[in-house]
Amino acid sequence: MSRPLVAIRGVSQRFGPDGAGVVALDGIDLEIPDGQFAAVVGPSGCGKSTLLSLVAGLRRPSSGTVLCDGEPITGPMPRKVGMIFQEANLLPWLSALDNVAFPLKLRRVARAERLPAARRMLTLTGLSGFEDRLPHQLSGGMKQRVAIARGLVQDPAVLLMDEPFASLDEQTRMVLGDELLRIWSETRKTVLFVTHSLNEAVYLADRVIVLSARPGRVVDDVTVDLPRPRTFAMTGGERFGALKDRIWRHIKHAERG
Amino acid sequence: MRGHERLIVTAAVLALGALWEGLARLGLLDPSLLPAPSVVGEALVRLLARPEVLASLGVTAWEVLAAFLLATPIGLGLGFLLAEVPAVGALFRPLVNFLFGVPKSIFLPVFILVFGVSIPQKIAFGVFTTIFVLIVGGIAAVQSVPPELVTVSRAFGASRGQIAREIYLPAMAPILLESARLGMVFNITAVLLCEIYGARDGIGYRIASWGENLQMPQLYAALVIVAVAAVAVNEALRAVEARLGAWRERA
Repeated sequence: MSRPLVAIRGVSQRFGPDGAGVVALDGIDLEIPDGQFAAVVGPSGCGKSTLLSLVAGLRRPSSGTVLCDGEPITGPMPRKVGMIFQEANLLPWLSALDNVAFPLKLRRVARAERLPAARRMLTLTGLSGFEDRLPHQLSGGMKQRVAIARGLVQDPAVLLMDEPFASLDEQTRMVLGDELLRIWSETRKTVLFVTHSLNEAVYLADRVIVLSARPGRVVDDVTVDLPRPRTFAMTGGERFGALKDRIWRHIKHAERG
Repeated sequence: MRGHERLIVTAAVLALGALWEGLARLGLLDPSLLPAPSVVGEALVRLLARPEVLASLGVTAWEVLAAFLLATPIGLGLGFLLAEVPAVGALFRPLVNFLFGVPKSIFLPVFILVFGVSIPQKIAFGVFTTIFVLIVGGIAAVQSVPPELVTVSRAFGASRGQIAREIYLPAMAPILLESARLGMVFNITAVLLCEIYGARDGIGYRIASWGENLQMPQLYAALVIVAVAAVAVNEALRAVEARLGAWRERA
């Protein structure tokens, strides 16, 4: 394993007036090595999404530090960290191509330069031929592919995914999961993937980080030692089941309490 | 409108005109109340040749335009302020909602007292009548901006200026234009009301005096001019609205 690309050191997050309200995250310490696919699971409301928004620089932790590539994160660092949300959140007035190019436009990259880059990303995510479609002309799965292309267009080292497939149907979800693994194996990004699906976490990730119910603490850190490439057949295997069981015990415990 | 719909509408208008003309020629309509379309048409041609009538149309157009150009940025700006600054919104939104429901025409005598019977009075009353539609429209426009798109843009490093330009403006554009168009309808009504109520010039003033003197062909001809102009303005604004709002999903 190489150096940690994302380091979360003693991070706590409190909400409410003067941080006196709800404790969402409590003393999180994590290191994500370069190129690792890490999934974060935990009961609802455990602060998984809050953790991602801290790495995205969308909020500052109440205490502790978050480092990306050794540099403290004090605000969004779009060139290093790409974000993909639960909903595709495409700009409805822009074509698929312009949506993918949008982060480059924000960085004032010239149109002649950003459009070919966006086109390459749409090809990578299997959407060549759909460049000129408006979001409302795309299916839910296609919209999420556009969102993934947009997250990748600046070639960030880290890809944050906040339940990216949660609003898709089961089949689309599985197809996109395989697509994501293909893209990941081609680009070797460091991925931090929040999900509430244990199947998805074990199937996709190298490592599953389990958070407890609020206040969110790391209660388990599971290495997924299944070989790659992952196949659908593995999901019925003994090892897959054992890993899922181990994670489920934590979640079940937390959801009950 | 699609081709065949346009055809049906045109045919219906022509049929109604023919019926009206026929009834008038048969002496079944009182010409002092409803003259034949051919008579109105003749009057229309004569009116459009009279320089003083054209000047009156110019005065009205100027009043309408000036009121619109004042009310639109002020109204939308106030709406934006009320929606974006919570303290201001809490203070003034109940007042705006209250005044929105009050018929503005009852304030017309006040405007005459303050401004006299003058062009500024017409413009001020136009602004006063229109501005509430635009304030409410401005609030609605801000509320139509999806907050998640703002979050996405922030995650991609957008500055405040970029969020305003790339997210707020395009997201609000359809509702802003719709409000401007509705405001224009109120505005034209307000200015004409002013002119009919008391004025020295303007097409509304002429309509009122033709009416008082029972000059029906001129009266109807003027109605046709005003109606055509108002519909043209409305349709032009709607065309811009449709262009800029083409991305909105058709429900």
